[in-house]
Amino acid sequence: MLSHEPEVRVEVQNLRREFDSKERKVVALNGVSLKVREGEIFGVLGPNGAGKTTLIRILSTLLLPTSGVARVMGFDVASEPEKVRAVINMASGAERAGYDYISARGNLWFFSQLYGLPSEVAKARIKALSQLLGLDDYLDRKFYMLSTGYRQRVTIARAFINDPKIVFLDEPTIGLDVMTAMSIREFLIKEARENGRTIFLATHNMAEVDAICNRVAIIDRGRILTSDTPTNLKRSLGAPALVMEVSPLPVNLAFLGAVEGVKGFTTSVDEERGLARVQVVVESEECVRRALAGVAASGMRLVSSWRQQTTLEEVFVSLVGRGFVEREHEVGE
Amino acid sequence: MSSVKTVLASIRIGWYRDFGWTNPLTGFLMKTIAPVASVLSASIVYWLGSSAAGSFDPSHVSYIIVGAALYTHVAGYSWVPSQAISEGKWSYVFPQVFISPKSSTPFLVGRCLASFVTSALTSLISLAFAYYVAAAIFKSSIPFIVTPLSMSLLLGALLANVPATLGLGILLAAYTIFASKFEWALPTYVAGLLMVFSEALFPVSVLPWPLSAFGNVLPFTQFIRAAREAVVYGSVSAYSYYVGYSLLGGLLFLGVSLWAYRWAERQGRKKGIIDRKVV
Amino acid sequence: MESRLWLRALYARMWVRVMSVFNEPLWIAVNIGFPFFSSVGLGLLYASTGLRSFVGFAILGGIMISFWGNVLWSMASQFYWDKQVGLFEIYLTSPAPMTAILIGMSLGGVVNTAPSAVLVAVAGWLFFAPPLSPSWLAVVLTLALTLASLYAMGMMLSSLYLAYGREAESINEALHEPVSLISGVYFPSIGNFSPFPFSVQVFASLIPLTIGMDALRRALFFSQGLSSIYLHLIVLSIMGGALLLLSSKTMKLLEEKGRREGTISVRLR
Ligand SMILES: Nc1ncnc2c1ncn2[C@@H]1O[C@H](COP(=O)(O)OP(=O)(O)OP(=O)(O)O)[C@@H](O)[C@H]1O
Ligand SMILES: [Mg+2]
Repeated sequence: MLSHEPEVRVEVQNLRREFDSKERKVVALNGVSLKVREGEIFGVLGPNGAGKTTLIRILSTLLLPTSGVARVMGFDVASEPEKVRAVINMASGAERAGYDYISARGNLWFFSQLYGLPSEVAKARIKALSQLLGLDDYLDRKFYMLSTGYRQRVTIARAFINDPKIVFLDEPTIGLDVMTAMSIREFLIKEARENGRTIFLATHNMAEVDAICNRVAIIDRGRILTSDTPTNLKRSLGAPALVMEVSPLPVNLAFLGAVEGVKGFTTSVDEERGLARVQVVVESEECVRRALAGVAASGMRLVSSWRQQTTLEEVFVSLVGRGFVEREHEVGE
Repeated sequence: MSSVKTVLASIRIGWYRDFGWTNPLTGFLMKTIAPVASVLSASIVYWLGSSAAGSFDPSHVSYIIVGAALYTHVAGYSWVPSQAISEGKWSYVFPQVFISPKSSTPFLVGRCLASFVTSALTSLISLAFAYYVAAAIFKSSIPFIVTPLSMSLLLGALLANVPATLGLGILLAAYTIFASKFEWALPTYVAGLLMVFSEALFPVSVLPWPLSAFGNVLPFTQFIRAAREAVVYGSVSAYSYYVGYSLLGGLLFLGVSLWAYRWAERQGRKKGIIDRKVV
Repeated sequence: MESRLWLRALYARMWVRVMSVFNEPLWIAVNIGFPFFSSVGLGLLYASTGLRSFVGFAILGGIMISFWGNVLWSMASQFYWDKQVGLFEIYLTSPAPMTAILIGMSLGGVVNTAPSAVLVAVAGWLFFAPPLSPSWLAVVLTLALTLASLYAMGMMLSSLYLAYGREAESINEALHEPVSLISGVYFPSIGNFSPFPFSVQVFASLIPLTIGMDALRRALFFSQGLSSIYLHLIVLSIMGGALLLLSSKTMKLLEEKGRREGTISVRLR
């Protein structure tokens, strides 16, 4: 049997998007290139303001790129939006849009008609999707009667109603409880595996990416820093991260940046215990010793320290030098 | 003292809400167009009917211009408190006002007073504008008394009417606390009811009995009558009677409304319905 | 395939609109407030002049103002609300043509407004018993064409409103009354009985509602048949068609503009 290379469904080359706001020009995407194939769940992971939503909006034909090319199923999103629209769908976790006085079923039927689905097909699909998403008992409730979680399930069902080749999801599980988020993730994995759908997922939830994405691109300030499978990315760091708890507050850890072999660190303050927790991404065991010695030399008290299995957060820290949250503060300034 | 501060602050919020989306001049013009048009509509309806019937009387045009301008004035700001609540429910402003231990009445009063100023100006402009346009298109001179005295009397009537309108506004607000649907449709009802029952376009005696009596006791009816005495008929004694009636009736009404609102507010807190949102 | 999508999208959009009201009958009470009171108020004003034969103008006005209100609040500003809740981007990213969606919205609007319009008519008729002298065929045809061109204007406005943000509500409030004034919803605003100077009449005639109201009054109260108002009907058809085309062009243009400037999914609240 010939193993065939899965087809490329999304191809982005050197994509750039600028926004002119009153005070300044914002470069939301700054030369993004990527390829996503059939059956892949592709995550775009980055802090607030990194450009995830902008990328999704360009790919789903809601926004034009300033320069660069983006193709979906081979169609150019800028010049052939109609062709792209026929094969995609999208949903945003912040949205949960629907007609309030219409039942969930009615809403889904309505959305299916925007794709010209014959009613029989639409009904069958609504049934199948709602079974998978645990919506069965809620289909006949009016939309406004549904809780946030169930509205979100309807939104996800909507995004698959037209049997799309590619689904763009922007933070699909934001604000949901753990169980709901998990069942949505299971659904996404199933859709990609069994139906060969491509799922393009923008999120700043690292656990989500770790749990379901085949590949992830880490994006920061409009640039893709790296792109690989989550496992490979974590493995690439070499040594497990060093975590230290130091006191008293406030701590000054600037020297850590200069320690040889430290790729970056992120700090969170525990006010209650009066200490700071520092996560340091290190190259080697040698570097760990240097970092610990540096703390001792600085006069701060080392309350405790341990090593931790690497997560995508450390990958981000190693690339940017700072943590997600710190990065969001910086960008906000 | 602090409630005076709240009132002043919410007057500012009210103005910002009305004009913040554009420059004040455009905002104001946009707010003036509607009353001008509805005053003209009513005068033209009268002109057309009475010309065909051969009963046209220029002084009756003044009657209608004053009535139409002033009922839209009342309608224009009486629903602001309930609007403030229903908008606030959406934007989470009102629940915040509401959960503070103080009463939310000063907030509503401020919003209402902010609109009073706007609405008084737009009504006076529509009055003047309609006067000129009517004189031009009906080709007749429309009687109006324009003297310092008549203008101060008109202003007095507008001010004397504030308690009554606030009363109406607060009463509607009391309802809006409970309403979770369609409360934004209230203004059309308020405007419609005022148009028919406050002697805005025709004497209330035209209405069948219990309705005519209802129209007759409304402080708004007395307010419009007073304004007509000020700028059309010129009887100061009749004016004083009507203004007194509208002020006292208004204060009474306001008292009842405040009581109703306090009750609604207490119920609302008890049942926790204030941030319930249904489209 | 294309035309099937067209029809399905159109029908579905209409269905959603009609069902929303069907599921929430209070909507009719909401719709009827202003039209009812203004037709009663102006009807009584007509009656108070001593001339009963014009009372019907006020009732007809109440009927038509329901539709005009619907066009403003549920057509013109619809995409603005849709944008706020995220429905607009769902429309855009689907292959359904916007014109089909807009026409579906219009038909749904007509169906939804019909009950309140009928209630105003019945109440007005019971209350005032205005003298009628109708030419029914002309009345029905004129009503149909007037509504068609009125809603086509709504489609046009709804694409224009896309260019505005928060202003939608204020623009609606500012447009409602003046348009009903110059288009002569309650009295003849063009022709021999118009109070307006010629220039204003010419301007007013650019609004389809003006032509429609004039023709409706002629057909309903002055027994003018198709032979006397055929010009009105031709003009209405042309206006309706032109507005339809224009709205689809504007829609395309504004979609491009929105995609360029990134304003398609910027929400204000
Ligand atoms: N319509 C717009 N006009 C102006 N600037 C914009 C617009 N849309 C996005 N931006 C800017 O572009 C940058 C990237 O925004 P984007 O929404 O793509 O980020 P994101 O990664 O989705 O962030 P988040 O995690 O907060 O959703 C930000 O600086 C944002 O302020
Ligand atoms: Mg985003």
